[in-house]
Amino acid sequence: MNSFSFRSIFAAMLLSVVLLPNLRSNDLDETKVALESTLNQLLDVLHANHRTAPYSVKKDQIIGILNQQFSFDVIIQRSLGRNWNKLNDSQKDQVYALITDLVLQSYTRELQDGPRPQLTFYEPKVITSSKIEIESLVLLNESKINISYRMANIKDRGWQVYDVLVEGVSMVSNYRKQFDEHFLKKSASELIDLLKSKLKGA
Amino acid sequence: MKHLIRSGISFAVIAMWALSSNAPAEDFVDLDDLMEMDELLDDDGTVARGGSAEIADPLKGLNRAIFGFNDSVYKNVFQPFTRQYVRVVPKEARKGVGNFFNNLEYPVRLTGNLLQFRFGRASQETGKFFINTTAGMAGFMNAAQEFEGLQPPREDIGQAFGAWGIKHGFYFVLPFLGPTSLRDFVGRFGGNYVDPISEPWTQVDDSTDRLILTAVDTVKDLPEIIDVYNSITGSAIDPYTAVRDGYAQLRAAQVAE
Repeated sequence: MNSFSFRSIFAAMLLSVVLLPNLRSNDLDETKVALESTLNQLLDVLHANHRTAPYSVKKDQIIGILNQQFSFDVIIQRSLGRNWNKLNDSQKDQVYALITDLVLQSYTRELQDGPRPQLTFYEPKVITSSKIEIESLVLLNESKINISYRMANIKDRGWQVYDVLVEGVSMVSNYRKQFDEHFLKKSASELIDLLKSKLKGA
Repeated sequence: MKHLIRSGISFAVIAMWALSSNAPAEDFVDLDDLMEMDELLDDDGTVARGGSAEIADPLKGLNRAIFGFNDSVYKNVFQPFTRQYVRVVPKEARKGVGNFFNNLEYPVRLTGNLLQFRFGRASQETGKFFINTTAGMAGFMNAAQEFEGLQPPREDIGQAFGAWGIKHGFYFVLPFLGPTSLRDFVGRFGGNYVDPISEPWTQVDDSTDRLILTAVDTVKDLPEIIDVYNSITGSAIDPYTAVRDGYAQLRAAQVAE
């Protein structure tokens, strides 16, 4: 090998070491920035006229913002696990809509009451080649809450949140346990009735 | 020209190798695969946090009954009381009382760290206690919060047992106090031995004073407990299971921390 090709290979190796990991890091940084932006947009909406405009008024706007980075269909189907197949198509649609409403209504109420929470996002952690976790710290009413977002690089969707962990408690896993318990003794139609009654009382 | 082609090929080979080993952004999860994953977290190797936390519940019937009783007490007694407490007692006073009792819990946290041989965190706890007790006026002010190096995660004896590999045993619900497990209950009992207020080795001789201090210590935590409880149960399909699993996952995360 002469000195010219040796020099070229060395240059190529240098490029691959310097440039390519940066591309990867940039990609992850962009994902973090996008998530941060999505959640800040959500807070903007929640804290605009928050005393006069209830969730029902802002619902479409909230879902529109979150859909940029949250795959609710994945979150809900993973939460139901094997129980998903116990629902017929109509029940699947109803359960999807009702759970989305229940969870968003409950959590957005907490976020919009009181002062606007302060969000700090940390560097993404690579779990596998297609999954990352972004940890964040929420300062709400002087309480510090650790919230992590598990994201997957989904084909044709890009990086999307498929689970949220609050203080290490996985939302998907927690709901999975509840659905398993429900379907031990109760049916899909009872689940729909239960969800409707919870939403009425919420 | 030959050299140019050879070095071009070399570049391409090396770049492809680097791309294949360093580019998670190029890997995708198929939507159907993600939906069908039945084992929640084992798929990505993150079993330590959430999902894998299991806790036996052989007393489920009794536990559900006590949970129902507690739910009624929380909603009909503690919640209205907490609202009044928050309304009447100024925020700064509540914060000061919270800081004071947190500072007094230093021996429990220290013991939790020492039992896990976490000497670094034990010394952080000691530094925090020293600063809060002196500059923080007997602990009423959290003066140590200004120091980034003095913010160790909270440890307790139940966590230390968990770090030793001791499992929960089984889950049970205490009247008024809520969820615990055999392991954590024993840990809490052990914590009483190093707690300066609780018996048997209390530093407060008068039983009435001790009762008042214990009551204030409990009341100061109520607003946060009620908030967390409402947050979990408000969006739950089955509040009992949501709290039990939340407890198991939280403790697993704390032990793994």
